[in-house]
Amino acid sequence: MTEALLFMLGLGGACGIVLSFASKIFYVYEDPRIALVEENLAAANCGGCGYAGCSAAAEAVVTGKAPPSVCVISSPEGISNVAAVMGMDPGTAEPHQAYNMCEGGTRATDKYHYMGVTSCKAMSVVFGGMRDCHIGCIGLGDCVKSCKFGAVTMGSHGHPVVDDNKCVGCGACQKACPKDIIEVKSMSEKLLKFNQKHDPLAPCAQTCPAEINIPMYINQIKRGDYLGAVQTIRMRNPLLLSCGRVCPHPCESECRRGIEDEPVSINQLKRFVADYEMFSGARIPIKCAPDTGKKVAVVGSGPSGLSCAYFLRRIGHEVSIFESMPKLGGMIRYGIPEYRLPDDVLDWEIEGILNLGIKSYNHVKFGVDFGLGSLMAAGYSAVFLGVGAWKDYELGIPGEDLEGCFTGIDMLSRRAGGEVLDLGKTAAVIGGGNTAVDCARTMLRLGLEKVYMVYRRTRKEMPANEVEIVASEEEGVEFVFLAAPTKVVGNDDGHVTHLEYLQMQLGEPDASGRRRPEPIEGSETLLEVDTIVTAIGQSPEASFKQDPHPRMAELELTRWNTIENDPETLQSTIPYVFTAGDAATGPSLVVDAIGGGRRAARSIDLFLKGEKVEPVVDSLQHRRIKESIFTTVKGITPRKRAKMPELTVDSRLDSFVEVDLVLPEDQALKEANRCLSCCRLCYNPDIKTA
Amino acid sequence: MAQSIAKEFTKGLWAELPPFKLVLGLCPVLAVTQSVENGIGMGLATTFVLICSNFLVSLLRNIIPAKVRIACYIVIIATFVTIVELLMQAYVYELFLKLGIFIPLIVVNCLVLGRSEAFAGKNAPHMAIADGLGMGIGFTLSLGALGAVRESLGAGTILGTPLFGPDFQPFTFMVQAPGAFVCLGLMLCMMNLIGKK
Amino acid sequence: MTDFFVLAISCIFVNNILLAQFLGNCPFLGTSKKMETAVGMSMAVVFVLVMAGIITWMTDTYLLKPLNIEFLRTLSFILVIASLVQFVEMFLKKSIPGLYAGLGIFLPLITTNCAVMGACLINIKEEYTFLQAVVASFTYAIGFGLALVLFAGLRERINIARVPQPLQDTSLGLVTAGIIALSFYAFKGMV
Repeated sequence: MTEALLFMLGLGGACGIVLSFASKIFYVYEDPRIALVEENLAAANCGGCGYAGCSAAAEAVVTGKAPPSVCVISSPEGISNVAAVMGMDPGTAEPHQAYNMCEGGTRATDKYHYMGVTSCKAMSVVFGGMRDCHIGCIGLGDCVKSCKFGAVTMGSHGHPVVDDNKCVGCGACQKACPKDIIEVKSMSEKLLKFNQKHDPLAPCAQTCPAEINIPMYINQIKRGDYLGAVQTIRMRNPLLLSCGRVCPHPCESECRRGIEDEPVSINQLKRFVADYEMFSGARIPIKCAPDTGKKVAVVGSGPSGLSCAYFLRRIGHEVSIFESMPKLGGMIRYGIPEYRLPDDVLDWEIEGILNLGIKSYNHVKFGVDFGLGSLMAAGYSAVFLGVGAWKDYELGIPGEDLEGCFTGIDMLSRRAGGEVLDLGKTAAVIGGGNTAVDCARTMLRLGLEKVYMVYRRTRKEMPANEVEIVASEEEGVEFVFLAAPTKVVGNDDGHVTHLEYLQMQLGEPDASGRRRPEPIEGSETLLEVDTIVTAIGQSPEASFKQDPHPRMAELELTRWNTIENDPETLQSTIPYVFTAGDAATGPSLVVDAIGGGRRAARSIDLFLKGEKVEPVVDSLQHRRIKESIFTTVKGITPRKRAKMPELTVDSRLDSFVEVDLVLPEDQALKEANRCLSCCRLCYNPDIKTA
Repeated sequence: MAQSIAKEFTKGLWAELPPFKLVLGLCPVLAVTQSVENGIGMGLATTFVLICSNFLVSLLRNIIPAKVRIACYIVIIATFVTIVELLMQAYVYELFLKLGIFIPLIVVNCLVLGRSEAFAGKNAPHMAIADGLGMGIGFTLSLGALGAVRESLGAGTILGTPLFGPDFQPFTFMVQAPGAFVCLGLMLCMMNLIGKK
Repeated sequence: MTDFFVLAISCIFVNNILLAQFLGNCPFLGTSKKMETAVGMSMAVVFVLVMAGIITWMTDTYLLKPLNIEFLRTLSFILVIASLVQFVEMFLKKSIPGLYAGLGIFLPLITTNCAVMGACLINIKEEYTFLQAVVASFTYAIGFGLALVLFAGLRERINIARVPQPLQDTSLGLVTAGIIALSFYAFKGMV
């Protein structure tokens, strides 16, 4: 027994002495934090974490390659100690992170056709862009192999999944991927990415003026990830509740399913997820990049101004909105009637944008209450002019100034502002656009007995959205086609009594192929009405030019009174003034204004950083990738698209209650499943498709 | 007080059940589970070491200097392993022969060292005992269960009693090395399935 | 000479330390996620196992047996191995940083690797001579490395495969290990 004890003591002592000498002799400096972290790991050296021993794991934590929770057997307390040692410095620079840009469809089918090629790179060299894979991810995992930090794994959907906690933004995966599925970017870069000619984009995403990644959000809906879909849309469009209601969805006309079947009801899906978020009662938190300390003034709070302010704020700039009207929203509040876009919905949406930390000043008019000079003096480095197009065109016929004559936007905005208008019992709306239809439908809701729409061509040529025309027909608007107003007739009190118009007939087709309306001599007709509303288009109201600041003289306008700008960068003739929306383009779609606001935000960001304000390289703006636009699609079984639920005609006419309703969840899912996920269909511009 | 002891005890039975939830100490799990008897024997031996070492480590936790604690833990564990080894040699010699070198290898079972480091080194002795007991019983039950599956399929018996009658053709695969891996893998998969719901 | 060859084959394939003897399974699953790690780990095991084999054999033959205190084998072996690993780690870090970068970080993992301890105990149990013990230790380590590298290769492929949720990671890893173990059965007839 004594022998045993002595032996153990001797052995222990010998080992101890050797080691303590060795530790002095072989001393090497290392980051003291490594020892501190290691102390808080379980020190079982079991290898369960995948690192070679606890000191290796500790080193990985200190160098940021592993999270504090690396140890699989550590207690929660140990994990928090490790986190405390690391201090978890948030850092001031915006971190980069890898993102999987592709969420669509099934994985490239030929993954399972083993041909001896086991790397994506080899696969794409051999088969190149000709290979017709459904989504583009080759799925052989070059990115997974390239990641030194184990942050990329192949997810259950066959796409790489990035673990945000492990990703350090080194960019190895991006280099490894031959098909640009993975991108390493900061959030700001992602927010300010614009469609480029070489991007693999579905036709719908190419068409959307706001450049929303449509296939991605539809796929998220398919998977039931509605809030994820909301976030995808918010990367490009902060006004999804509004757009989901009023957008005429140009994307749907390019939908590839539409070639053989009815197109996917893209916009109703957008509205479905937008409403889902609103009714969920909680807002999804929106992240903003660290503050840059630069101030930008946004003049006008319409869709372009809100969009520009939202993107500028998210990339870290300080933004203030200046609005001349009592409430924010611009044309989407005052030009779009409440039965299409309810006020509380718009309030909720705008509140979400202001919550990012955007200040707003109402009742102040540019050129009157403030101007370039005062903004510069207040420390704003750039100005966004999104004043819209609020001035209605006039017909230029006698009697237009009689009492009972209104112009479209004027009437809509006065009504939206709460003014009670005396409109009598019958009315005629002149024009065939969306504003004209809005005026007609609004007046029906204000209790008028008869509303005529007077248009000089036929229904086929009406520029208003088809759904709007159908709804107004259902609600009882009477159409007077092929009619050119010639005179407004009034009574002795100076009040309107009749509208006189000349009947037209369609003549020979002109150069554009449309048959020109020609007046029929002597066909003057009288229409008995109490009110006449002229809604034949608008132009920007140029009162901002009254700003006495000397620089203002440099701001050039076009002959339509829109602000002259570079169509790619949206920079005006004053370098620090940018513009978008109706003020730049003339009356156009809400979604155009939103896209423009984001594009202007990108240019403003470049300007604030002191870089040259240059257009996006190879920008796709309004163009299509030829090779991706098909004329036939194989293998489609037609399935009816979801019908939009709406209020019955009887129940909608006596109030301004919203007419269009949201899709129920089961139908939205069914509709999402009609999407072909063409986001990644490979095409090769060098090879002619037969 | 009693509640927290109970909590430490029960977590080893499901929430952190070794070796399924904490994939540690796999070697004995795979090596000695050809039969229920071996599995439980091994489990009990490990439990004994776990409880004793947890207790002693916990008692000495304020005396042992942080720098050399791992070495101290190993020596403590090794001491108890030696005791178990001698005890088994004396009283259950047959089982001792069957388990072979896996008894001394309890020293390097990460489960034991892991508990010393993660729990016993920071908690009072009674808690450490509860933790060691819970973990040990969980480990024993897992070994027993794995042993039961492998023994019943591989040899057609449970604790030596035949289960399926004389016509049964045993899957010898199950009691051999590859069977051990496959069986544990599938059981882990089942645990994941159950845990998910 | 033939004896040594047979011993080597037996240690590498037939009695593969990982797949047939079930030793060293924790690092087997832990460090086989990436090929690089697996190779580093294998090298470190070869390095340490040979040294540990030599030193434990000497401890046993020249200290424990003459003093008749074999019951302290477990205790003394773990102490010797732990000190050895620690010493080697410090030595490499200072003197051969290049080699340390390659395998140094794997060394601590080996202290509680039952493959090392187990192989040393087997050497004693089988009553190998010194030379046999050295060869056995080396070839056991080679067998460990072989299995680990093979397994890591498979796992890299499995990583990017579509695996049902409950089977992911360790679960499928174990089943794969079972299949590799099965293939090693083919060597059974050789010895």
